[in-house]
Amino acid sequence: MSKVVLKDVHKQYKDAHVLSGIDMNIEDGEFVTLLGPSGCGKSTILRILSGLTEATGGNVMIDGKDMKKVPPKNRQVGMVFQSYALFPNMTVYENVAFGLKMRKQPVNEIAEHVEKMINLVGLKEKKEAFPHELSGGQQQRVALARSLVVRPKVLLLDEPLSALDAQIRKHLQVELRTIQRELKMTMILVTHDQEEAMTVSDRIFVMNQGKIAQEGTPFEIYTQPKTEFVANFIGRYNVFTKEQIENLLGGKMTILAAKYAIRPESIQFQPQTSSYPIRAIAGDSIMNGNVIRTTFHADNKQFTMEQLHHQSSAFEKGTEYQLFVEPKDVIALS
Amino acid sequence: MAYQENEKGFVETMKKFTIVMLILIGIYLALPIFATALYAFSTEWNKTILPEGLTFEWIRTLFQDARFIEAFGRSVLLSGSAVFISILFIVPAIFVIVLYFPALEKWFQASVVMVYAFPGIILSVGIIRFYSGTSLPMILAVTGVYVISVLPFMYQGTRNSLRNVQGRQLMDAAELLGASKMDAFRKVLLPSVYPGLFVASLLSFSVLFGEFVLINLVVGSRFETVQIYLMAKLSTSGHIASAIVFVYIVLMGILTLVMATLTKKAKGMRHA
Ligand SMILES: Nc1ncnc2c1ncn2[C@@H]1O[C@H](COP(=O)(O)OP(=O)(O)O)[C@@H](O)[C@H]1O
Ligand SMILES: [Mg+2]
Repeated sequence: MSKVVLKDVHKQYKDAHVLSGIDMNIEDGEFVTLLGPSGCGKSTILRILSGLTEATGGNVMIDGKDMKKVPPKNRQVGMVFQSYALFPNMTVYENVAFGLKMRKQPVNEIAEHVEKMINLVGLKEKKEAFPHELSGGQQQRVALARSLVVRPKVLLLDEPLSALDAQIRKHLQVELRTIQRELKMTMILVTHDQEEAMTVSDRIFVMNQGKIAQEGTPFEIYTQPKTEFVANFIGRYNVFTKEQIENLLGGKMTILAAKYAIRPESIQFQPQTSSYPIRAIAGDSIMNGNVIRTTFHADNKQFTMEQLHHQSSAFEKGTEYQLFVEPKDVIALS
Repeated sequence: MAYQENEKGFVETMKKFTIVMLILIGIYLALPIFATALYAFSTEWNKTILPEGLTFEWIRTLFQDARFIEAFGRSVLLSGSAVFISILFIVPAIFVIVLYFPALEKWFQASVVMVYAFPGIILSVGIIRFYSGTSLPMILAVTGVYVISVLPFMYQGTRNSLRNVQGRQLMDAAELLGASKMDAFRKVLLPSVYPGLFVASLLSFSVLFGEFVLINLVVGSRFETVQIYLMAKLSTSGHIASAIVFVYIVLMGILTLVMATLTKKAKGMRHA
C-alpha cells in the first residue's frame, strides 16, 4: 500500500483551474520531487496534502486513510517552507521543541529528542540563538529539525533551498538526502531547479500548468522525455519538427511524432556504425563548468552540442563540420 | 567617466542641500519648543533676550493643582480606554482579515480613508446632532469616535507586523506541528507581532491624547482633559501654560523613544 495517494485531485480558484486531475502514488520511505516552473501548482499540491488548503475535487489518502475530515494539526504531515517560517520569538531549541510540546510529550523526552535532532542538523553550538542571529542555511536546518523531530508520516519541503546561495544549496541537497535515508522518512520536495531534482530524488513528477506532465526516475525523465515541455525543462534539449529533423539528418523518420528531440551531449564528432551524419556551421562556444557548449547552424535551424571540456575538439567559428548522431538518441516526443 | 564624476558631484550637492534643509526645519520647529520649555522655567522674561532667572515654581504649581492632575487622569483614561477597546475588538478582526480573508482588506482600507477624510469638526456636529437627544452620555459617544479614529494606526501597525513576520505562514507552521489555532495564535503569532502592536497602540494613544477639537466641541468643560485645561490656562498664566506644554512634550518624548526602540527590535526579528 502506498504511503501517500492523490486521486484525481482538482483545485479551482473562481474560474482559474490551478490543478486539473492530479494522480500520485508515493511509497513509504521514498524521496519524490515535484518539478515544474513557477505557478504550475506545486505549492498548491503540498498545501492540499497538509490540509492547509482544501481541494475542490478528488481524494487524498495517507497510510490508507482518507484525509478529507482530518484537520492539519492531526495529519502528521510536516512542512518546511522556502522562507523558513521559524518562530522569531523563540530560540533554536524552543523552535525545535515546539511540536513535541504541543503533543504534550514528557519534558525529559522532549529534551532528549530535541538535542538529538539539533545535533543531526549540526547546530549544537546555536541551541540558544534566536532565528535572526542565524544565516539562511542555518535557519533552514532549524526548520528541518523542527519538522523532523515530531516524526511526521510524510515531510513536505516547499522550495526549501531556493533562497540560499549555490554552494550552501548544493551542500544541503546532499545533507537532506543523507538525513532522509538515515530516517527512512517519506519526503516530497518541491523545486523548479531540474538539477536539484535530479540530484536528490528517487522519483520525479514533472508538472506543467496544473497537470503531471511525466513521472519517472531521474534517469528515465532525463533520457526519455515524453513531451516538448519536459524536454525543454529537463535539459537543454534540441527540439525539431519532423521536417527540420529530416532535413538535418537527410533521411525519413521511421517513428511518426509531433516533435523530435536530441540531447546536446549525444551529438558526436566521431561516427558510430549506424550514425546519421550532420553537416553544420559552428557558431560561438561557451564554457560552462567542465562542459563546452557550441552552437551550430544548419539550414535555418540552430542547435547546440555539448562536450566534456578535456575531450573536446576546438571548433572554428564559421567553419563547416561533419557531426554525427545515433538513431537511438533521436527521441520522439508526443 | 566625466559623466559619472558629474553624477557624483550632483549627489553630493543634493546631500548637503538636504542636510541644510533638515537643520533649518529642525531649528524652525525646535526654537518655539525650546522657548516654551525655557519659559516654563523662567521667573521673569519680558524685556530681556534671555530670562532673568530660572525656577521650578511653575512646574511645582502645576503639579499641586488638583485640577491639572484630574485633567491629566481624564486624558489618560479617555485615550487609554479608546485604545484598549480597539485592541480588544478591532485588532482581532484585523488579524482574521489579514491572515485568512485578504480579499476583504480593501474594505478595511476604504474605511481607513474615510476616517482620514472626516475632519473632527464635521464629526462633532454629526455626533451632537445625532446623540444629544439620546440617553447615551456624550463622553461615550466621543470614546466611540476615538476607537474608530485610531483604526488607521491600528490597522497599518498590525498589518505591517503581520506581513513582516509572515503571520499566515507562522500560523500554518505552528498548526502543522500540532498546535490548535488558539495555541498558534497565543504562543507564536501574538508574541511575534507584539512589538509592532505595542507601537501602534502607543501611537494611537499619543494621537488621542493630543485631540482637542472633538472633545472640546462635544463635551467641553464638562470633561476637562489636559488639552482643555491648557486652553483655559492660556488666557490666565503663560508660565503655567508653558509648563503644561513642557510636561506634554516630555511625555511624548518618552513615548516616541519607547516606540523607536521597539520598532528597532521588531526589525531585528523580521530577518528571522
Ligand atoms: N489563494 C489563491 N487565490 C487565487 N489563486 C491562487 C491562490 N493561491 C495560488 N493561486 C494560483 O494558483 C497557481 C499555482 O500556484 P502555486 O501552487 O503557488 O504554484 P507554484 O508553487 O508551482 O509556483 C498560481 O497561478 C497562483 O496564482
Ligand atoms: Mg510555490
